[in-house]
Amino acid sequence: MAIITSLPSRFFFISICLAVAFLVGCSNASINDNPPDFSSKEKLQIVCTTGMIGDAIQRIAGDRAQVTTLMGPGVDPHLYKATQGDLRKLSEADLVFFNGLHLEGKMIEILDKLGRLKPVVAFADSLPESRLINSTNYANAFDPHIWFDVALWSEAITNVVNTMARLDSGYSDHYKKNGTAFNILLKTLDQEVRQRILDIPESQRILITAHDAFAYFSNAYGIEVRGLQGISTVSEYGLRDISDLVKLITERKIKAIFVESSVPEKSLEAVVEGCAKRGFETRIGGTLFSDAMGAAGTPEGTYPGMVRANLNTIVSALK
Amino acid sequence: MEAFCFILTGSFVALSCGLLGVFLILRKMAMVGDAISHAVLPGIVLAYLVSESRDTIPMLLGAAAVGVLTTLLIEWLYSKARLQMDASIGITFTWLFAIGIILISLYTGQVDLDQDCVLYGEIAYVPLDLWILPNGKMLGPGPVWITGGGFLLILGLVIFGFRGFEITTFNPEYAAAIGISTVFWHYLLMSAVSITTVISFESVGAILVVAFLIVPPATAYLLTDKLQHMLWLTALFGVLSAFFGYYLAVAIDGSIAGAMSVVAGIFLTLALLLSPKGGVLRKQKIPSRTVG
Repeated sequence: MAIITSLPSRFFFISICLAVAFLVGCSNASINDNPPDFSSKEKLQIVCTTGMIGDAIQRIAGDRAQVTTLMGPGVDPHLYKATQGDLRKLSEADLVFFNGLHLEGKMIEILDKLGRLKPVVAFADSLPESRLINSTNYANAFDPHIWFDVALWSEAITNVVNTMARLDSGYSDHYKKNGTAFNILLKTLDQEVRQRILDIPESQRILITAHDAFAYFSNAYGIEVRGLQGISTVSEYGLRDISDLVKLITERKIKAIFVESSVPEKSLEAVVEGCAKRGFETRIGGTLFSDAMGAAGTPEGTYPGMVRANLNTIVSALK
Repeated sequence: MEAFCFILTGSFVALSCGLLGVFLILRKMAMVGDAISHAVLPGIVLAYLVSESRDTIPMLLGAAAVGVLTTLLIEWLYSKARLQMDASIGITFTWLFAIGIILISLYTGQVDLDQDCVLYGEIAYVPLDLWILPNGKMLGPGPVWITGGGFLLILGLVIFGFRGFEITTFNPEYAAAIGISTVFWHYLLMSAVSITTVISFESVGAILVVAFLIVPPATAYLLTDKLQHMLWLTALFGVLSAFFGYYLAVAIDGSIAGAMSVVAGIFLTLALLLSPKGGVLRKQKIPSRTVG
């Protein structure tokens, strides 16, 4: 027992030394209430969470900024785990952009805290609540997948352009010019989606996927959406979910259902088999990009390319 | 400076989990930490249904309450229903986790709600998670203070409760005979474990907590027969794992929690091979041991 009785003082002494060292070491950063001055910087360092946001910011900033995207192709933003390198990028960034509405899960808390040290902007925060979808009875449980409504995404981009023009006022014309050009492109894209959806016979205008990511797409373009699972990917689909879907597909003779890039295919195969047993042939119509874009360098690695790829998959399978 | 924050947070978690883990291993309850990491799901869902918010405080309260309930249920199944300890742990956490899944599919299927996105923190974010006073004074990263405070509490508990934990762990019958309440010490240890793990989950994520709860104490167990030495060695291996793990993560630009856990596993492997008592490389027959 001799060792133990002498332990407390020794341990507490060490702990206090550590705490002091820590206070001295970790508290040398300072908080800045004034907006940062970017005019002296040759190039801004901007960090974005998802590919869709990175694509938008790259177009708006052009060569004024070095844009880094944290979440690569095929990554589920809800479950993303940061690496040591990501942390460095976040702490070195001049500006940070993220989606918000809980898309980035627990990471959003950290981004909010980082917002006290540097400008951190959520795309979704600039949108009025009336434009957001909440398919639950709970307050603040908005659907985060806003980029599937091209017009809504374009609205968010207008707001982000204004924010950037205000923060980096020396380049405000540059941002506004790029922003306008991108918004014109998005307007064409929005009309293209609207037009092409009309090619699908009205009775076939229903999008069946594994998890509910397409509510905004549904609202904007008049195509019904049914998911096997809710938004949360931890809840398993029930047997009745499958049989309900099978019934719906056979009754309405839906030609195809769709897999998403970030959710396993198995559950939907069960639905296809179920339909076959009831004598109706449906098929997996292809893979849709939901929470992440395609690989960089491919057409699907850009926002318009991703939207078109989804559109082509849906239209050609249901037409 | 960042490096120091990571290593300090990792070490605090390693120390508080490790000191408790020693007693868990000796009581054959090592998997309690992993069990709690699953069992907190219904607590999170209920906390959300009551508060309609995914903020840290309601999530932590819900998780901690169910964490304590988990240990109560395990103990009840073990002592009253006379099931084995491992079976009791297995039944309790799968049952609670399943209740959580049913609650989600019934009430919150359209809300992104699970441990990963509302409770588990990530040690990589520690330097960004700053505490700032209203007057602008920086206090440094919050998780360092939280895990540090937790460590001091656990340290105090282990130092001042040492006799009680020791005697009820190794010789419960004797303890009962001389009037020491085994039930009291058991629930004290278990409450400390559930609250420490839940708070550490929030600060640094699940894998690191579960690893530090088991691996350094197991390494120490291979090397010594004395409880005090086992506690000291656990502390040593925990801190070394945090230190080398951090630099491994930097070298490979990988997950910090993953690297720290891997280094803890490497220490265990070395102990397994080189242990003076029963190291595989020494090939000596040893009589069955008693720690204490």
